[in-house]
Amino acid sequence: MFGAANVLAQGEAAFPPSVEDFYLPGILPWGAENSYWFTKITAMVWLAVGVLIIFFLATYRKPQLVPTKKQWLAESIYGFVRNNIAVDMIGHAGVRFAPYFTTLFCFILLTNLFAIVPFFQISPNSHIAFPTILAVISYVLFIYAGIRHHGAGKFFKNSLIPPAPWYILPLLIPIEFASTFLFRPFTLAVRLFANMFAGHMILLVFTLGGFAMLNANAWLAPVSVLSWVMTVALTFLEFLVIVLQAYVFTVLTASYVQGSLADEH
Amino acid sequence: MADDQTPRPSGDRDDVPSGAGQGWTALAYLIAGMGVWGFIGWLVDQWLDTGGIALGIGAVLGMAGGIILVVRRLGTPT
Repeated sequence: MFGAANVLAQGEAAFPPSVEDFYLPGILPWGAENSYWFTKITAMVWLAVGVLIIFFLATYRKPQLVPTKKQWLAESIYGFVRNNIAVDMIGHAGVRFAPYFTTLFCFILLTNLFAIVPFFQISPNSHIAFPTILAVISYVLFIYAGIRHHGAGKFFKNSLIPPAPWYILPLLIPIEFASTFLFRPFTLAVRLFANMFAGHMILLVFTLGGFAMLNANAWLAPVSVLSWVMTVALTFLEFLVIVLQAYVFTVLTASYVQGSLADEH
Repeated sequence: MADDQTPRPSGDRDDVPSGAGQGWTALAYLIAGMGVWGFIGWLVDQWLDTGGIALGIGAVLGMAGGIILVVRRLGTPT
């Protein structure tokens, strides 16, 4: 972020980029290597939380019957998540979960969006810790919602024992157990993490690759321009991925909640 | 906007959940089936030193299990 362009222009940036590039120097203490108490990532997460709280407080403070522009935006976001995700996936019982889904969707969307906002240009979600915590929250939520709705015994019976003849149950129960209680949180976290990680990595490769070619050989200069054009194009692709992943995370959480609320099919 | 927070009584499922959730569930079952029984087969392989035969059997059984689960859980409408 700071003076990165100078480093690039002097040809000191390492190519190819590595995982090390995701570990930014600390802000407090300033510039410290291997000190991760307060980094740009931490700052961005706090910023995202602050922005969301202020945005929704400010827009919902004095709700008008004829909404103002800001109120319209906030209501559209909430309405979208409530109608198109919560109610669509879960039914009317899903309205209860709409506030959580909206928070989840907005938080992931905003933290993802940092990946392509100038001067931020890395998403906190490209560190697996953040998607993991989000996935754990969703995991606890859908198990808790299921136990609340059915009671513990019936919930686990519903989710572990499929309607099938007894002699294939030994084959099916391990699959049910793994897919519901092991793979769900894992895939939820890894899907978001890997998408954001790969997105940042691709942008790094094309940006730094342009500089690497420029510094290596004057004849490669036109190709390095091509590389930067690709960076711009891939940034648009990245935007698509950002929105899609925020949506997918929320939809899957809703789908899991729906599964644990559903009566036996 | 503030007054629609209270849900209708649960169990009132007059609208069918969208297909996306079912699609993800089906995919999860197919992959999980192969993964789980493939892993168990691999463990048996390590134990009995069968050189990959148990893993193959496990993966095929798991695929079959995954397909049965998809049919049973998602195939018959309630």
